[in-house]
Amino acid sequence: MRKIRAVIRREFVERVRSKWFWVSAILGPLFFAAIIIIPLHFAAAGGTKAIVVVDGTTSGFGARVADSLARGKTFMIVARSAPRAGLLDSLTREVGLNRLDGLLILADRTVETGAAEYRAANVSSFRDIDELRGVLGRLAVNARLERAGVDPATVGRAQLRIDLRTKKISGSATTSFRDIDELRGVLGRLAVNARLERAGVDPVTVGRAQIRIDLETKKISGSATTGESSAQSFWLAYVMSIVLFIVIAVYGVNVMSSVLEEKTTRIVEVLVSSLRPFELMLGKVVGVGAVSIFQFAIWGLGGRLVLSQRAALIGNVAPADVGQEAAFQLPPVPATTVAVFLGYFLGGFFLYSAMFAAVGAMSSSEQEARQAQQPVVFLLMIAYLSVFALANDPGSPYAVALSLVPFTSPIAMPVRWAAGSVSVSELVMSLALLGVGIGSRSRHRSPCPCAGRRAV
Amino acid sequence: MTAPSPSPSLSPTPILILDRVSKRFAGHTAVDELSLSVPSGVIYGLLGPNGAGKTTTLRMIMDILEPDGGTVRVFGEPGGGRAHAERIGYLPEERGLYRKMRVLDVLVFLGEMKGTDRRRARQRAEEWLARLGLTEWRLRRIDELSKGMQQKVQFISTVLHDPDLLVLDEPFSGLDPVNTQVMKDTVLDLRRRGKTILFSTHIMEQAEKLCEQLCIIARGRKLVDGALADIKRTHGGHHLVLGFDGSLGGAAQVFADQTLVSNVDNYGQYAEVELAAGADPQQILQRLVASGARLSRFELQEASLNKIFIDLVGAEAVRA
Repeated sequence: MRKIRAVIRREFVERVRSKWFWVSAILGPLFFAAIIIIPLHFAAAGGTKAIVVVDGTTSGFGARVADSLARGKTFMIVARSAPRAGLLDSLTREVGLNRLDGLLILADRTVETGAAEYRAANVSSFRDIDELRGVLGRLAVNARLERAGVDPATVGRAQLRIDLRTKKISGSATTSFRDIDELRGVLGRLAVNARLERAGVDPVTVGRAQIRIDLETKKISGSATTGESSAQSFWLAYVMSIVLFIVIAVYGVNVMSSVLEEKTTRIVEVLVSSLRPFELMLGKVVGVGAVSIFQFAIWGLGGRLVLSQRAALIGNVAPADVGQEAAFQLPPVPATTVAVFLGYFLGGFFLYSAMFAAVGAMSSSEQEARQAQQPVVFLLMIAYLSVFALANDPGSPYAVALSLVPFTSPIAMPVRWAAGSVSVSELVMSLALLGVGIGSRSRHRSPCPCAGRRAV
Repeated sequence: MTAPSPSPSLSPTPILILDRVSKRFAGHTAVDELSLSVPSGVIYGLLGPNGAGKTTTLRMIMDILEPDGGTVRVFGEPGGGRAHAERIGYLPEERGLYRKMRVLDVLVFLGEMKGTDRRRARQRAEEWLARLGLTEWRLRRIDELSKGMQQKVQFISTVLHDPDLLVLDEPFSGLDPVNTQVMKDTVLDLRRRGKTILFSTHIMEQAEKLCEQLCIIARGRKLVDGALADIKRTHGGHHLVLGFDGSLGGAAQVFADQTLVSNVDNYGQYAEVELAAGADPQQILQRLVASGARLSRFELQEASLNKIFIDLVGAEAVRA
């Protein structure tokens, strides 16, 4: 035990002492932020969602929404029912039993205040939420225009896009995106107003008819709604998958290069003659794992610090639009989710470290190891690349399979957990399989990383 | 002819025993039913040409490889050296240290691997660094050291925990003359303090100077083992160096007598004669004088270990 502790200490101290640890501790979050934000813009997928529209409107607004949604490909309207006692509960139960994907709750106040509610098993699909927001917003504005005696078609025709061509005059101060956007906004507003007046419509009436849809989303977990909102659960799943992927890959490769260093320098002969290969590997994996958790801690504290100073930081930047701001709020992460995340991180880290260590033990040079590690990285990437599919449809057979197979479950299960509801039995089975995977990996490990064909 | 087993008077309980130990790698047998016994408190040489199985044997002793057959007993207990790591120092053939670590940290870590506690390991490391003139380098990184200094650090790591048994694989290979001397002095010093040293080499001059006991292996098999003096007596044959003072007389007939002489290198006024088995040198002297040869030199010589080695290994190579 004392020897294992010494191995752990060496791996930890030597790594934390290196300047690269601190470089990644500081630059890591920036890197993560970049790779998290960029692909979000490309997020869209998922099957048709079967929903019920609970229509509490008296003006026919609900019927129009249902028709409009039914024309799109995203939603299939199973029924449109007027609210009555017990309806919401029974529909929520249907969703919990997977017989229904969700329910959209509308009332007259939707047109008045923009408030609507969407309850579903999966509220993290941007495509679903965007479509709902778009349809509701368009139809609510139209209803308000009609009420004011304006034909929505006239208003629609008055819209136009400002084609602002910019030319740089050398010697002048550079123009920022913010300036261009502001210019385009003002021009657009005035041009539309002019066109509306020409069509005999008062722009003020149209302006008053605008409304922002405040779509409240509720995740149905089991047969009950939870407090999590869509953006939060998607963000959580997305961030978790990226952090898991990068950290498992980076620290797995660390274990590999550590094994390789000891192999090429032959220190391993001295070590293996002093403690069992399994003990050596255990010390190594725990030591490197401790470094990664230390790194998490630094990132966590740094993140808190940045968020607490957010107002001051954002004050210097152009006012972000409301959607972005909402996305940047730190979601209240439930303790169970943190536990699932850490559990799968440790499991995945052990499993992949064992595989990376085997790669290091099999290879005799850095170059050889780099090639041999590729299959391991590909294996890890399967779940990572499936994260949008997992978040959009956490209940699909593909997602379930990924969250059970030990090689993909360390990333797939936390994502499913955050994005949708996962039953306890599934979680237990997935963890058990992961445990079996780790066990068999450590048994397969060659007894001595130096055992080879080298003659005397 | 069978080699004499190590004389029991040297040590009633050998510190290390191999009993018909074998190791096979895909397609070939690296060590083939090798038995040997290392008495306590001696310098023991494991000799053999390249590819003989020396390193494989040492690795099995150190528990780095598992034997496919036979048993290893270290300090009287079955099993390899890992269980006794704190009593064994091991220097692998190819050397290396953590390049990015500081000298003192490496030594403390490797000391801990051998079961020494941190404080003690640090104190011993400082002592050894001072002894080998490396004190001012103790906080430098390994890759800032010269190769010679790295060799010294590696050697310190082998003896830091004051082991009772040292297993050194080709300890002199790649050492500069200064470090060779340091290594020799330290090995002899440890021997004086009652430690046992087992080392492998293919350089016979070193073995001849250092070893009290030895085992020669080739192609994984033992050719001979025992005390150096015994091996020389039984395997060295007897070498006669003859000098003539003018007349050779009937020396040629004497040399042709195969009951007396098995081989001769005749230079005219000088000849090297290898005696036939069981031949008495005195009889040759009498015959030569009787034949009318005038002798200026008649010297009985022991063969060098190198010659014994080449004779044995060469014969083995021819047989194989």
